[in-house]
Amino acid sequence: MGQFAEQFDKGSVDSHAGDVMVVGGGISGVQASLDLASSGFKVYLVDKAPAIGGKMAQLDKTFPTNDCSI
Amino acid sequence: MDKVEGKAGEFNVTLIKKPRYIEEEKCTGCGACVEFCPILIQDQYNQNLSLNKAIHVYFSQAIPLVTYIDPEHCLFLRDRKCTICTGVCNKNAIDLFQKPERLEIEVGSIILAPGFEIFDPKLRNDYGYGKIQNVVTSLDYERILCSTGPYEGELRRLSDGKHPHKIAWIQCVGSRQSIPGGNSYCSSVCCAYTQKQVIVTKDHDAKAECTIFHNDVRSFGKDFERFYQRTENLPGVRFIRSYVTLGKEIPGTKNVTLRYATNEDGVKEEEFDLVVLSVGLTPPDEVKDLAEKFNIELTSQGFCKTNSVNAIETTRQGIFVSGAFQGPVDIPESIVTASGADALCSQLLAYRRGEMAIKREYPGERDVSKEEPRVGVFVCHCGANIGRVVNVPSVVKYASGLKHVVHAQEALFACATDTAKKIAETIQEKGLNRVVVAACTPRTHEPLFRDTLREGGINPYYFEMANIREHCSWVHAREKEIATRKAKDIVRMSVARAARLKPLQELNLPVDKRALVVGGGVAGMTSALSLAHQGFEVFLIEKRSELGGMARKLYSTLEGLDVQAYVNDLIRNAFQHPSVHVMTDATITTASGYVGNFATTIKTGEMIKEVRHGIAVIATGAEEYKPTEYLYGQDERVLTQIELGERIAKGEERVTHSQSVVMIQCVGCRNEERNYCSRVCCGHSIKNALKLKEINSGMDIYLLYRDMRTYGFAEDYYREAANKNVKFIRYEAEDKPRVEMVEEGGERRLKVTVTDFVLGAKLEIDADLLVLSAAVVPPATNTELSRLFKVSLNPDGFFQEAHVKLRPVDFAAEGVFLCGMAHYPKNLSEAISEAYGASGRAVTILSRDSVTASGAVSEVHEKDCVSCGICLSVCTCGAIEFHDTPQGKKAWVNPVLCEGDGLCTAKCPTGAIQLKHFTDDDLIAQIDAAVRED
Amino acid sequence: MCTGRIDPGFILRAFANGTDGVYIGGCWPGECHYPTEGNYHALSMVLLTQKMLKHIGVHPGRLMVEWVSAAEGIRFAEVMNDVVKRVKELGPIGRAEGIDENRLKLKLEAIRNLLPYIKLVEQERLGGHFHSEEEIKKFYGSEEMDRLFRELIVDPLVMSEIMMLLREKPLTVGEISAGLGLGSSEASRYLNRSSRQGWVRFDQRQKRFVSVRSQGVGTRSVERRG
Repeated sequence: MGQFAEQFDKGSVDSHAGDVMVVGGGISGVQASLDLASSGFKVYLVDKAPAIGGKMAQLDKTFPTNDCSI
Repeated sequence: MDKVEGKAGEFNVTLIKKPRYIEEEKCTGCGACVEFCPILIQDQYNQNLSLNKAIHVYFSQAIPLVTYIDPEHCLFLRDRKCTICTGVCNKNAIDLFQKPERLEIEVGSIILAPGFEIFDPKLRNDYGYGKIQNVVTSLDYERILCSTGPYEGELRRLSDGKHPHKIAWIQCVGSRQSIPGGNSYCSSVCCAYTQKQVIVTKDHDAKAECTIFHNDVRSFGKDFERFYQRTENLPGVRFIRSYVTLGKEIPGTKNVTLRYATNEDGVKEEEFDLVVLSVGLTPPDEVKDLAEKFNIELTSQGFCKTNSVNAIETTRQGIFVSGAFQGPVDIPESIVTASGADALCSQLLAYRRGEMAIKREYPGERDVSKEEPRVGVFVCHCGANIGRVVNVPSVVKYASGLKHVVHAQEALFACATDTAKKIAETIQEKGLNRVVVAACTPRTHEPLFRDTLREGGINPYYFEMANIREHCSWVHAREKEIATRKAKDIVRMSVARAARLKPLQELNLPVDKRALVVGGGVAGMTSALSLAHQGFEVFLIEKRSELGGMARKLYSTLEGLDVQAYVNDLIRNAFQHPSVHVMTDATITTASGYVGNFATTIKTGEMIKEVRHGIAVIATGAEEYKPTEYLYGQDERVLTQIELGERIAKGEERVTHSQSVVMIQCVGCRNEERNYCSRVCCGHSIKNALKLKEINSGMDIYLLYRDMRTYGFAEDYYREAANKNVKFIRYEAEDKPRVEMVEEGGERRLKVTVTDFVLGAKLEIDADLLVLSAAVVPPATNTELSRLFKVSLNPDGFFQEAHVKLRPVDFAAEGVFLCGMAHYPKNLSEAISEAYGASGRAVTILSRDSVTASGAVSEVHEKDCVSCGICLSVCTCGAIEFHDTPQGKKAWVNPVLCEGDGLCTAKCPTGAIQLKHFTDDDLIAQIDAAVRED
Repeated sequence: MCTGRIDPGFILRAFANGTDGVYIGGCWPGECHYPTEGNYHALSMVLLTQKMLKHIGVHPGRLMVEWVSAAEGIRFAEVMNDVVKRVKELGPIGRAEGIDENRLKLKLEAIRNLLPYIKLVEQERLGGHFHSEEEIKKFYGSEEMDRLFRELIVDPLVMSEIMMLLREKPLTVGEISAGLGLGSSEASRYLNRSSRQGWVRFDQRQKRFVSVRSQGVGTRSVERRG
């Protein structure tokens, strides 16, 4: 990581409240988040990558319907 | 992820949000910065097979569709050298001084879904990977095949960009290995994904020669057996059962040779243009760190340690796990466990449901019914999916010249969040009152764009989708010019219809908060109890006089669970829970209604009772096939695996004193009559074999199999059985074992004859016990149930889910769900996960106060109605009745019951009854536009 | 929307527009997504419409129905390729059959005008609802069906065609029989029946038959707004 990226933005800690935190934005994490939100819960979905989708977003097509995986 | 404090119900999580050096609200994803960035880096999304820039969008359909800067490569973030991107961004969205943010989040529970990594063959230099260019992993190959991949969907190889013609796949790379650096488990997904890649390869190049080197083809999933046959029957496809070693890379051509051995030909060396390593799944990176922060335990393999029956529970209360962090699983299981984790969170937090949820607000709806049609057309490139074949700018130009069209433009991905936002803005700015999106299928994307119209302030039914992908670019990939012409035809037809669309109102119908669960086995009981714990009343009905289903006949699992104790506990809980109403000896006689409002009549003995409920879960389980082959029923020494399990548990002497036991796999399935794999039998027979070895380690056990399908962690037990000298002998479907009764010296011997391929000879075994791994078959009552609930069965008689991959526990019929063996054979913990999954999905409906019914229902123009009654007689939804008017009795449609099929409209002699959104006018306009230009 | 929604009027409209083939893709029998089992109705409608097309001299193979489920992408591609092949073999509508364009339009329009009546007949006399594909095909292939078709549909259809011809201009028996490809005694029989119904009359002055009312045999056109 670049040397200037290390320091924190000090003094500003954001506080939030929710019902469930989902760690991982792949197909499983996204499905869990959607189901929770549809069932009346507030969800935080966190992922280490810059976009959600996980491994499935890398797949060309999925068997057996050959639907696109996105 | 920084730290996690607190306990179930009140966790406090500290996160560090990494800077992306972009202000997300300002970035439009236009890509100007990417163009000007001077730093080329390898594109991780494309498995480093292509290049990207230090500032880039992760992938073209990424959410959020905004750029980010890779701090390791950015010249400014490394050495403060370059600021080109800030100069070219006209939104001032780039902030090179962004700092990481610390976030504290309080939540009641946590779901861990960090996924998996793929096995990296570079670590051991497997098959020259990393050194030989034309040896790639299956994920590399996936990117090569993909239209957004390094070759834009053309099948090329790395070394020279040529189209590879002879391709080999090597299975089990990194999996099923007990050598250092390998994983002992089976990764479960590789056999199926390889077959998919073979089929897609053959689509690219019909003459491609594809060879799959495997050691057992494990097609244990639903419909996988047929998929395997389809692949195997393609011309030029060979499945070869052999271990493989790398020969060499041929200088010049850079082709690769592989050495393998077959029973017929011995050792051979063969040359291939490209070798694909079917790599397995491994735990996610930094898994130890994750486990430490969340204070959960891992297995020795590095996956999440879970409850042995409920694979969604971690070792810490309030923290759940879904997807491949449990172990190697396929997409449907990842979805099932996600919905299951949702259900378990919902059980824990039912008391606070709805307190924090935020309701979505839409702008007011503009009344445009008096305006002339003003149609906006958005033509989507779908990345390269459409754009590579159809000339999108030309379609846009054509569309803008059509009658009623006041705006037309192209979009890279019309479905991307930011594009949808722009469409909504354009509706307002240009005063559009109809929208046509020419893109993919309305089946998946119509709801999204209807929502966009609401955001734009017009009625969502003013939307029409022109499918120029499935109906055009995908099927005419090689005929670009006529594909473009066809796209114009499709757009013209859609515009013609769009101009005539009318605004429709949707109906909000109240939801009955009760649930019906059909089937009182483990899946049914688990699902009923989960629904009850989430705060809903449940009717649990069972056709037999006792709860428990198939599990009553099981005594242990491969992992050692005492099944009887578990089932008895479950039965007790089901009877004791005040919200679960159990009915045994119960059959369903009628079922009617729709999502949110079902009415089902249930007969128990002489009593008939009507139950009203908002959702239904089908959990009717499966049965063991009663074999007609191998002397079953004619000799008491011939048993099924379930019968053997019962006798082992009871300590029956005939079993414990046996010296020679033969087990035959695939009895009654993987044949013409039942063209599927029963999935559980391989594990089942290994379990019984190990039990027998425990009783008498000297017992001779022969296991005759076709492919050992001990997927996932069951592979370890397979290895254990082999180590304990259980003899595994493979047989071919065309050369099944023969079982005979031989009378010798007043003794009746059970003689089993089988061809041993390794020895190349016939083997004769005298069996004290012959155990048949009998197929798992669907109950005959499924047919009736499928009719009652209007849900379908697959060709094998199991229930058919809405989507094999993405909606595994939903039915296409809304409000009906399925779990357990009603879906397909599966083991206990899989059935339990599904039961939670189904209850999680069901609560997404039960927790709502109302469901929305489509506005596209039929309506009667009374003055044209001649009271002939045809519509009443064909409408089996019972939605149409006569009512009295001053002009006599006229047909009337109950919009709540109307399903929108439109049969009445086609049958009406006078055109008086019209299916809204699909009226005669709408469709005739579209038919006319197919051949006529305005 | 279901295949059961497809009105025979749509098909006739497409053919009148010069379309050479119409293919209807439906869900497999027994797998209708609706409780109405519209695919069975669609099959009956197709078989009946094919009979009418054949009657007016249009190759019935121009109208096709095949079952394809949403999961059968490969089958769908095969079916579509086959459809295209069949339509190409059949050639351009009308010309391949030796019917000129205006005559074809008139004949299709005659059926369209009769649709309200045909729909009533289909519902009340032609079997109503079926529960299997075999049942439907057996019925539509039966002699009983041929008889009903002749009695209930062919006669009114010919009269509908006569009405349409006469609406253009008064004609002699010979001109009508030539126009419809009927024998002159047959044409006289239909004209007598039509005049008994009060739809046509013989104009002594012109020595020709003339249309009495603008309304045809059916009560009203289905696509009256189309």
